[in-house]
Amino acid sequence: MGDLVLPSVRDALRVWRRNARVFSHVWKGALLPLFLDPLFYLVSLGFGLGTYLATVNGIPYREFIAPGLCASAVMWAASFETTWNTFYKMAESRQYDAVLATPVEPEDLVLGELLWAATRALVYGTVFLLVVALLGLVSSWWVIALPPFLLLGGACFAACGLAYTSLIPKMDYYTFYFTLWVTPMFVFGGIFYPYDRLPDWAQAAAWLTPLYHLVNISRDLATGPDALAVLGNAAWLLVATVALFFAIPARVMRRRLVA
Amino acid sequence: MTGGAPAVRARGLRKAYDGIVAVDGVDFTVQRGECFGFLGPNGAGKTTTMKMIYGLARVGDGSLEVLGLDVASNRRAVKARLGVVPQEDNLDRDLTVGENLLVHAGYHGLAGPLARARRDELLAFADLEARADADVRELSGGMRQRLLIARALVNRPELIVLDEPTTGLDPQARRSVWNVLAGLREQGVTFILTTHYMEEAARLCDRLVIMDRGHVVEEGPPAELTARHAQPDLEGVFLALTGHGLDG
Repeated sequence: MGDLVLPSVRDALRVWRRNARVFSHVWKGALLPLFLDPLFYLVSLGFGLGTYLATVNGIPYREFIAPGLCASAVMWAASFETTWNTFYKMAESRQYDAVLATPVEPEDLVLGELLWAATRALVYGTVFLLVVALLGLVSSWWVIALPPFLLLGGACFAACGLAYTSLIPKMDYYTFYFTLWVTPMFVFGGIFYPYDRLPDWAQAAAWLTPLYHLVNISRDLATGPDALAVLGNAAWLLVATVALFFAIPARVMRRRLVA
Repeated sequence: MTGGAPAVRARGLRKAYDGIVAVDGVDFTVQRGECFGFLGPNGAGKTTTMKMIYGLARVGDGSLEVLGLDVASNRRAVKARLGVVPQEDNLDRDLTVGENLLVHAGYHGLAGPLARARRDELLAFADLEARADADVRELSGGMRQRLLIARALVNRPELIVLDEPTTGLDPQARRSVWNVLAGLREQGVTFILTTHYMEEAARLCDRLVIMDRGHVVEEGPPAELTARHAQPDLEGVFLALTGHGLDG
């Protein structure tokens, strides 16, 4: 029962392809709302509030928050994909039952959803990154190296969303997920103000969330990198993603879908 | 080395959910090329038995071999050779009719021109060519059911499992599904179906088991069962065996 079942990447990619096909139909309508969200924050805080602030850690305020908002676009995209969208496929349309009647196994399905959510998050994060770059809010060419880290961050948020989805009995529980996990990360994850002035316990709490690490990577690469810090944060995201994937969604989904 | 094995062989098959026994030690063997039915009321254990065969429920106790393979230890290999028509419509509502077939072929590892050829062939088979680009939500009940059957054939399965294939359909749609199934039967496809319609069982099945409360209470060809129990139809056989009707 507690055996570790390794997913088949080949079968996971079949699940990924189905999602990519659906996204190719709906991307025009789906891309805009999630992308406008961080843009509004950028305009209202960066260009509004920011005009009252001089600099944060020597960086103009709007340049300080722009990379963080890019990370938050990744978080929101991966979170929506692995909560409402995944639950719908699992419990409403029951299409997972159809998938599992083929050689695809639950672990492959969960990995496919994770890879897809990370891909979609990468699309949103990259589009937002292009916009802030065009606005002149990026000061380092190192930012070109950011997309793979956005993909990794997306995978980590996807693992969180899939873990929660695998455990809840009905959709109503997502209110808690967003109110107690996603929104606090957004507000306290270091996007809007630097962490080094906060008490130690607050810094420790932030360290435990994926957004904190992705914000740090984004800001480091957008303003001039500290390679060691970037790799440290990326290692955190990688370890958290893999550990969480095997600990919760892969195992719980098998028990839930193959009763 | 599995070519000569029976399509399904169950011995002492048992399954309980949360302490409630759904299937209580059933034995049956389905031969290749036969249409085998499970007749019984709701709650008899038919769906649970089907789900164990196609891998959506774990085998509780006993043994279950499908196409010569133990299902518990050969999940992928067994599922690759099965076609499944579930009791509840689980079509992919984000995809068109044609894409449902194409994507399902993808799950079975078929891609490119081969998958597209299979899709076109099955759209013709299900008489849905004109609806290839339609949203599945726009289909009538009978069309959906034909699409579900077509989808189950995408991997050219050796065995097709149909769980209540005509429940909830109007008489005309039911007849169109029966025609599709009769066509498959003539091609020598092996299939297993569950039903609580005695007419459907009598019409489609070479052999059937009657299930009630998790047990197999009788087994044989439909005509032989009615003769054996001196009843006019299978409903009478069921009543004679269990003391209650198929509705309850």
